[in-house]
Amino acid sequence: MEDFKFLFKVVLVGNAGVGKTCLVRRFTQGLFPPGQGATIGVDFMIKTVEVENEKVKLQIWDTAGQERFRSITQSYYRSAHALILVYDISCQPTFDCLPDWLREIEEYASSKVLRILVGNKIDREDREIPTVVGEDFAARHNMYFLETSAKEAENVEKLFMKIAEDLMQQARSKDLPRYDSITTNISGRTSSISDSNCCSKLT
Amino acid sequence: MGNIKEMEIELEKLKLQEEMVFKEMKNFVTQKTYVDAKIKVLSKILPTLKTLKVETRGLVDTIHSIAESAESISNKVRTLDCARNRVEECQQRVGDLIDLGLCSEGVQTAILNEDYEKGAAHVHRFLSMDQSLLRKTATDVENISSVLKAVGTLQDAASQLRTIVQLKFDEAVRMEDLASVERFFKIFPLLDMHDEGIRKFCNYLSEKLKDTAEKNLHAALNTSASDKRHNVKFADTLTLLFEGLARIIDIHQPLVETYYGPGRLMSVVSYLQKECDTQVKLIMMEFNKHRQTNKKINQISEISKLSSTSSFSKIEKVDPKDLDILIQEITIMHVRMELYIKFIKRKVISDIEISVPAIDERNNSIKQLDQLINASDLSRSKHDLLSLYLKLEQYFMEESVSKAVGMDSTETSQQTSSMVDDTFFIIRKCIRRTITSGSLDGICAVINIACGVLENDFCGVLRGRLRQGYPSGYLDLTQAYNVLQTSIQHGRLQPSDTEQIRTAFIVALNNADSSTEYVETLCDSVLTDVQKAIPNLNTNEQGKLESCLSGLSAVTTNLKEVIEYGMQQLRVSVIKPRISPWVDSFLNMNHQFTEDELSEYEAGESFVQTLIMNLDSLLSSFKNSLTDSNYDGLIKILITEVTARLEKVVLKSTFNRLGGLVLDKEVRSLAGYLTSATTWSVRDKFTRLSQIATILNLERVTEINDYWGNHDGALTWRLTPTEVRTIMNLRIDFKLEDIQRLKL
Ligand SMILES: Nc1nc2c(ncn2[C@@H]2O[C@H](COP(=O)(O)OP(=O)(O)O)[C@@H](O)[C@H]2O)c(=O)[nH]1
Ligand SMILES: [Mg+2]
Repeated sequence: MEDFKFLFKVVLVGNAGVGKTCLVRRFTQGLFPPGQGATIGVDFMIKTVEVENEKVKLQIWDTAGQERFRSITQSYYRSAHALILVYDISCQPTFDCLPDWLREIEEYASSKVLRILVGNKIDREDREIPTVVGEDFAARHNMYFLETSAKEAENVEKLFMKIAEDLMQQARSKDLPRYDSITTNISGRTSSISDSNCCSKLT
Repeated sequence: MGNIKEMEIELEKLKLQEEMVFKEMKNFVTQKTYVDAKIKVLSKILPTLKTLKVETRGLVDTIHSIAESAESISNKVRTLDCARNRVEECQQRVGDLIDLGLCSEGVQTAILNEDYEKGAAHVHRFLSMDQSLLRKTATDVENISSVLKAVGTLQDAASQLRTIVQLKFDEAVRMEDLASVERFFKIFPLLDMHDEGIRKFCNYLSEKLKDTAEKNLHAALNTSASDKRHNVKFADTLTLLFEGLARIIDIHQPLVETYYGPGRLMSVVSYLQKECDTQVKLIMMEFNKHRQTNKKINQISEISKLSSTSSFSKIEKVDPKDLDILIQEITIMHVRMELYIKFIKRKVISDIEISVPAIDERNNSIKQLDQLINASDLSRSKHDLLSLYLKLEQYFMEESVSKAVGMDSTETSQQTSSMVDDTFFIIRKCIRRTITSGSLDGICAVINIACGVLENDFCGVLRGRLRQGYPSGYLDLTQAYNVLQTSIQHGRLQPSDTEQIRTAFIVALNNADSSTEYVETLCDSVLTDVQKAIPNLNTNEQGKLESCLSGLSAVTTNLKEVIEYGMQQLRVSVIKPRISPWVDSFLNMNHQFTEDELSEYEAGESFVQTLIMNLDSLLSSFKNSLTDSNYDGLIKILITEVTARLEKVVLKSTFNRLGGLVLDKEVRSLAGYLTSATTWSVRDKFTRLSQIATILNLERVTEINDYWGNHDGALTWRLTPTEVRTIMNLRIDFKLEDIQRLKL
């Protein structure tokens, strides 16, 4: 049996090339990969972190940004505990696409999903999106906001640790949803999945 | 006076001094012999030292001269080495010169005789010579002009041959003269035209491929709708294309390797890939046009938009059955693409492995191959196809399940209804189908989609039915259950609305229970099926699959919550209202028996007999209609309710010794009955009640000490000391002060 108490699914979305894969690699492997190709479909990484002396397993799903992979990537939204929406601060079009991504999130993800807006590549000199613009967008859409650099390892650890902490707090404070409440959204997944989960049955 | 004394002292001093001097002199005398001996020895050694010095000088001279001669020897060796190299070089140059002569003489004859192999072999020999050395040789030898002439001849011949071979190759291609094509293909590398040869040959192969592919596509488009391959004709066309390509690669790889050396497969594959891409695009275009994929996708997204706004849809709905055939064809097409890509990857990688020894360089080549494949239209088409497949499969699954739910029917002899079997049949079918597509991403996505359908749609329906509740509107419920039972069993009677709702409720509860088993079986079988279909999953891929499967397996959690919700409904609407009056009748009874009253009570129908009879008929009305595990769940609820209620009424009654005795007996027989009704132990749920009965059945107040305390006979009490005292107070014959005096 694996040694963790909480398991959370984190899904990264956003246009191709904004640095999702680099963010995940930086966090899980501590490196900035040189010239890897664009992600195909979805990639899957795991990292266990410690929050308040508890082992928290983060299952990170790195999605491909292109349209042709949308049917694959959308299928991961429903069971996500957290969604990281990434844009590139040096590329206006990636910011302009955010409303489209939000629409997708609304359509496929649980309404309770933790949503984080991330402006990546702050190491670059040619910034096009001022920080306040990102902040403002996040505030209007009820999201957390953080600016990062996968290249310089800036705020990357903080981003994922913040997510782990928040999700753990949610899991602890929340009872399993009750069926008597007429909500159709019964994603009991949003709360903790204990180690008795069938992962261990499969391995 | 003073002077004499002083002088005496001085004298003493002098005497002492004299004595010391004498001693020292003696010492010197004795040492003299020792020193003499030493001097003697030394004077003997002296001549030896002189010769030693001379000899050492001689040795140094010898070493010097040896070093000198060594130096001169090694100089000679160096000179020799150099001379030998020069000889070799000279031989090579002579050889080259001889060959140069021969080649330049032979090459023209060969060309004239159209013996291009021989001509090219001469040129090849010429090209293998060090051209700069050749020029130097020419200036060294006397007959400069003859060497230069030979070089010139050969250079001319080389370019002449290059032109001829290209022309001849093109001509052979035009004439479709396969033998000549291969003949000239083999000559290119002799003329240092490897890239040119590969390019031309691959163009030739591509042309042939194109002809066949166009013919195949044309034939497919003319296949009549009645043809049995009509439904998979595009998959067939694609299969023919890939088989043709694979055959080309398999046949020509040895040829290329023999005449061009290993390491050329990547460029062969990349030339062929261009034609492959063109053909795949053509096939996909016709496929999309004839199968009307765009129209279908648009319809599907219209439908989902309308259903999400829940307005009644009048638009033409796509029948999932009609999609079935198309989805089937898409999976075949997809797996063909997948297999072909795997094939070329395997081939090229093994070619790289034998031709590129350095690891870094090798990884670079493999990366290049990946880029080549990922950037191809073939890959793009494959991804588009998978995307199309997933959209259709999702619609198929959702619509088929909703149809299965809509046509749900209950066979009277069954505990569950058709929607469970049907739903899991559909989901298993879809997942199996995606496994045949050969794409792990596709498999994972379909598993995710299945999770959504089960958790939202399927569980939603079950929950909705349970939310209707289990009506208990009969006066005599026992009778009502019997009616329900018979109506379920015999399927006659026009069931009233109430009965229908009851049946629906019970069936929904059973459906949820049997679905948990279906889910578990499904997870197990999918894992083994995938491992069989795609062996050698790496750990990351394995993790991906397992993570998605664990999501599917977690559907059981939702199902168990649905069951729990239903059980609570039953508790509130059936168990509680029925049990309360039965147990409450205890309050109307006398629990202070005389001996006579006791015998009379025991002769008649006792409280517990009536209770057991009632419980039994209540339970038996559910026994056949509920699944085993649901029935167990019901009994659990029933026991909790009965014991809690009984505890309450006992605490409201008063007992004498015989009354306590009767209660103890009755609790035992109730526990006995309920134990026999289930497969698990009910003792735990009875502990408090049994302990209450034990207390009420005591002879004397102090007898409690047999059961209380830290000794062997003591019980593990579920009652607090205060509760024990309260219960003892229910015995009218126990004195309050005796009870208070107890040390608990
Ligand atoms: N300067 C800079 N470049 C980055 C950063 N993160 C990613 N990149 C570059 O952006 C490109 C796309 O990154 P990738 O992670 O593949 O993007 P994805 O398509 O969102 O997964 C790559 O060339 C990266 O080297 C960053 O923080 N700073
Ligand atoms: Mg990526």
